[in-house]
Amino acid sequence: MEMTLEAEQARTATDFESVVREHWPRVFRFILVSLRDRNDAESLTQDCFLKAYQAWGRFRGEASVSTWLMRIAVNQLRDHARNRRLQFWKRTRTNSDQFNDFHDIPAGVSPEASPEKRAAAKQQVRAVWKAAASLPEQQRTVFLLRFVEDLDLLEIAAVTGLKEGTVKAHLFRALQAVRARMSEAYE
Amino acid sequence: MNEHLTESDISAWVMGDRSNTHVTECAECRIEVAAMEAALLEFRASAHELAAGQTPVVRVAEPRPWWPQLALAAAAVALLLAIPAWQRAERERVAKQEAADTALLRQVDAEVSRAVPGPMEPLVSLVSWDGSNTQ
Repeated sequence: MEMTLEAEQARTATDFESVVREHWPRVFRFILVSLRDRNDAESLTQDCFLKAYQAWGRFRGEASVSTWLMRIAVNQLRDHARNRRLQFWKRTRTNSDQFNDFHDIPAGVSPEASPEKRAAAKQQVRAVWKAAASLPEQQRTVFLLRFVEDLDLLEIAAVTGLKEGTVKAHLFRALQAVRARMSEAYE
Repeated sequence: MNEHLTESDISAWVMGDRSNTHVTECAECRIEVAAMEAALLEFRASAHELAAGQTPVVRVAEPRPWWPQLALAAAAVALLLAIPAWQRAERERVAKQEAADTALLRQVDAEVSRAVPGPMEPLVSLVSWDGSNTQ
């Protein structure tokens, strides 16, 4: 039986809603950690899913949905960074949602840990956040995909469109920068 | 025992390169590597905690019906066609009004230019203003 256009559209919308429900948290988290600005992250995540919805009919499944969505997110972040470089005045705005001072960053340690251990862990985590924020764009993307989203090198290569060797080189340099920042934090 | 791990060795180890066996032999380097791995795990937990609880705010829009847009377009076209017709009718109305006004003015001029009132006009031909009877 042939499906009417309306029925096909409704089916597509239903399928896509389940994609949104499943993948939204990861895409939002990756964008939030990359931008460190909740408003911008929400807005960019919406744009990302809007783009995905517009292209949903053409998605043939060559990559997994997750890889495809993360690739869109990486491209959105790249465009966003380019726009911000052009609109340099935007950098001077006051934005209470941006957490560049890293004081409100969760420590990422168990609440049962001793106060000393929690303080030390918070200092370490803050150093990693600061280091990640100061990395060049591609290094940061690779670093976050590896250590926040837990992707392996091949998956990162598929998401970023870089060669595996290039991904490895970016990750190595990013780790060196993070280690240097952590050493500074202890001096 | 080999030399202690360099910064590069530690980064390579954290990236998954386990070829350097020194870590298994040296407690000091093991602690160093473990500290780095712990910091990255805590960073990961921190990022997940920060983004937790965020629910999707996108709703996929229902396809909008096409007929209101078509009706709007038809109304716009009708309006565009009606404007010249209205302008033509308005020009004709103004021309008729001007003709009527001109006719009225002529009539008024004719009335005003008479020497005596209309009913007395037959007498004018009987009277000579210099005293001589014309008839």
